[in-house]
Amino acid sequence: MAEETFRTETKGMERYPGLTAFLEGWGIFRQSLLGKIGLVLLIMFALMALCSYIPPLIDPMYNPMTGVDPVITCSTGPSRAHWLGTDFMGRDILSQLLAGARVAFMVGVSAAFMSIVLGTAIGMTAGYMGRFMDTFLMRLADMIMVMPTLLVVLILAAVFGQLNIWTIVLIIALFRWPGVSRIIRGQTLSLKQRPFIEAAKVAGASHVRIIFRHIMPNVLPLAFLFMTFRVTSAIIIEAALAFLGFGDPGTVSWGMMLQWVWKTGHMFKAPYWLLPPGICISLITLSFYMLGRAMDEVLDPRLRKEDQTD
Amino acid sequence: MALLEVEDLCIDYKTKNGYLKAVDGVSFSLERGASLGFVGESGCGKTTIGMGLMGMLPPNGVVRRGRILFEGEDLLRVSAEEMRRVRWRKIAMIFQAAMNALNPVQRVGEQVAEAMLVHNPSLGKEKALKAVEELFELVGLQTDRIRDYPHQYSGGMKQRAIIAMSLACRPSLIIADEPTTALDVIVQDQILAEIRALQKEFNIGIIFISHDISIVADMCHDIGIMYAGQLVEYGPREDVFDSPAHPYTRALLSSFPTLTGKRTDLVPIAGETPDLVHPPEGCRFYDRCQEQIPACREKVSRWVAISPGHKALCCRCEMDGR
Amino acid sequence: MMENQGNAIIEIQNVSKVYRSRGALFGVRAKDVVALRQVSLKIYKGEIFGLVGESGSGKTTVGRLIVGLEEITSGEIFLDQENVTGLKGKALKAFRRKVQMIFQDPYQSLNPQRSVLDTVSEPLSIHRVGRSADRKEMAHKVLKSVGLSPPEAFFYRYPHRLSGGQRQRVAIARAMVLNPEFVIADEPTSMLDASISAQIFNILLKMRSTFHVTQMFITHSLAAARYLCDRIAVIYRGQVMEVGSGETIIRNPRHPYTQALIDALPKFKGSGEIKQYGTLLIEEREVNGEPMGCPFYPRCTVAEIRCEREIPGLRMLEEGHYVACFNV
Repeated sequence: MAEETFRTETKGMERYPGLTAFLEGWGIFRQSLLGKIGLVLLIMFALMALCSYIPPLIDPMYNPMTGVDPVITCSTGPSRAHWLGTDFMGRDILSQLLAGARVAFMVGVSAAFMSIVLGTAIGMTAGYMGRFMDTFLMRLADMIMVMPTLLVVLILAAVFGQLNIWTIVLIIALFRWPGVSRIIRGQTLSLKQRPFIEAAKVAGASHVRIIFRHIMPNVLPLAFLFMTFRVTSAIIIEAALAFLGFGDPGTVSWGMMLQWVWKTGHMFKAPYWLLPPGICISLITLSFYMLGRAMDEVLDPRLRKEDQTD
Repeated sequence: MALLEVEDLCIDYKTKNGYLKAVDGVSFSLERGASLGFVGESGCGKTTIGMGLMGMLPPNGVVRRGRILFEGEDLLRVSAEEMRRVRWRKIAMIFQAAMNALNPVQRVGEQVAEAMLVHNPSLGKEKALKAVEELFELVGLQTDRIRDYPHQYSGGMKQRAIIAMSLACRPSLIIADEPTTALDVIVQDQILAEIRALQKEFNIGIIFISHDISIVADMCHDIGIMYAGQLVEYGPREDVFDSPAHPYTRALLSSFPTLTGKRTDLVPIAGETPDLVHPPEGCRFYDRCQEQIPACREKVSRWVAISPGHKALCCRCEMDGR
Repeated sequence: MMENQGNAIIEIQNVSKVYRSRGALFGVRAKDVVALRQVSLKIYKGEIFGLVGESGSGKTTVGRLIVGLEEITSGEIFLDQENVTGLKGKALKAFRRKVQMIFQDPYQSLNPQRSVLDTVSEPLSIHRVGRSADRKEMAHKVLKSVGLSPPEAFFYRYPHRLSGGQRQRVAIARAMVLNPEFVIADEPTSMLDASISAQIFNILLKMRSTFHVTQMFITHSLAAARYLCDRIAVIYRGQVMEVGSGETIIRNPRHPYTQALIDALPKFKGSGEIKQYGTLLIEEREVNGEPMGCPFYPRCTVAEIRCEREIPGLRMLEEGHYVACFNV
């Protein structure tokens, strides 16, 4: 009976397990207020990033980096031409803010993605291979984990001069994998003991096959969850670097905006300039964090348990 | 007056698809010192009955209907405070996972003494420990193990300690839910013998819940067979085993391998248990039944007396006048 | 156990397994655990061989050693008279086409992220059998033979959408798809209800009758072993106590441990039919020093002095009935 009804319900969907899983997850996600707020905020920022392409099209003076309002020579407050005002050389703050959203996404997501890929690969290798490999990789992870990322980047910047934004992304990724790899290693260790891995072994599966076909699909959701948290930290690191003056001078990021406010001495004089990037940084990190928390709930197996009767 | 009288007990679980009727219209009674066993497969509601009697249903469980008269008092009407008093003091429970419920960092003897002191604080620690010694002897544990920690105990010993704890307040009813499932046969045999002896000695009523018919038959005078939330057959063990009336009972019996008699082919029960959120109108076993007749599907099954004390919830039996 | 060598498909000779303690914890070195001690067994072509024991008896270890999930400490294993102890690489892969295993817990032995078709056809793709379409065809056939029909309806289902019985059928299908010579079923029904267990038992019997697969059935239940198996070995604390045909072991057990095991089964039905032996001591007997004799010595009512010091080997009592006891 139960079997029959189920079959009709999901007819045609069975072939798309990804979709069914997604809908199931979405059902749990929807119940989380935190997740919904995070998602709304995130969509807002994404729209901002998309909109960043518009102002320069209206008038070259709205180019966030090079566009200068010819009639303005110092920082001014909000006006009809510049809704959020201008910076010290007459550049439009709103366009800069929109461009900053694009950069934040780019830096956050790519740095997080790279560190997750690295962390997952290393974590799975360490957990699955065990012995020497495990010890070696985990000690390496420990070493990197205790290094203060910001300080190292500052030193690198001091040595190599100005850093390109992609170099910064790469450095963040290289310094942010150990946490992920520890989690993934733990997960791999417990998966390795599970009978389905043994069953694959008995079937004759090679190590490569076991890692990629059996372990990886089971750790990926977790890795994905961690990615949302990593985005947060990558954005913060980039902002801090830029604020301290070690950012990519060719990119307008929110941290860069803050640095300009600071350097030109407008810190306490121009709230219309200081507040928008500051608030945006806080909100975007918060939104990714909230999203991560909600995803955590979706992935938590305890909430997934079927209802038990006996 | 019977020790325990359960009338038309219905317990639902709230699920995302609606209310799941885990126990539906179960009635039975138990005399002091008597034993009753519930047998059924997973999901039949036998554990839910035990939990319901103890007032320990999970948060999504609700008693929809029914009465649980224990020593003349309806346990469904008493306050939570009152229920706590009744629990352990008068009704004790031994369940499968109980042996893992022992606190690993406290000596076993102290845990038993504590259970005693919670319900009888006037006893005093000295006396309680003395009483624990007696309890240990009762359940066949060496008294010099009182000061040991749970990890120093074997599975069987832990289960004995749990039994000792359940006896601490001299209850008049013990609910034993799969008390030996995690144990090996030899240890199981000893624990069951222990429970039987104690039941006799203290005139305790026992409700024994298990998926294994042979254990229940070994332990209990009366047997209730459960299927999909309902009691489907009830009677003295000899009657239920030697002349099972309900087709499900017969099917269940023929799916157990035995050690005795000729080796006969096992007949598995085809199909799956019905959806209990939307249970079928008629007989719940209809889809899987080998002896179905059209009436079974349409009519709500009624209890049919097979012989004194032996009854079955089956349309077919009613027709046949069995 | 010298019999005609010809039709033994699996033979294990003097196999021991010792779990060595790893290092010392707080300065206390844990003792090595002997899981199996000098176990020798022979399994003949086409039979279902039962290995019965309690938890911790080492019955599962025997299975895991045969399929190579664990390393053997000493002794040898033969498949078709070929030594298959400690195989590696290609030889191991070839061996795995012939020997498969069904695991205890169907809720754990299927990868939750892979569909039924993925799971069942995986052994085929590992061993490069056929093309993708052929594999689907073979998966179809084997799923049908384990009673999951129509197989198409199950192809794209994931384990969490299957009942326990269905999962175990998928696991059996995975083990059978390569058409192995020998399959080990490690307590395949201990997590399942009686009516579902009966289905699984009958599938195992069918596998034997239609595909002529030799099987080793590992269980704690003598009744289940009696139903399924031609011969039964009773194992206790890593040593084989008694080997014989199913009916012999149940009707005429000679080892005190087997007798105690039968005594302990719930007796309501058949107390008249099966005699009581009373070979189990209520309290364990003290052993002086390291235990080195018969593992059942501490609990045996008929033990002699030498039982404490010497290990009794398996002796033949009658054709096909072996007992490891001095007093029989």
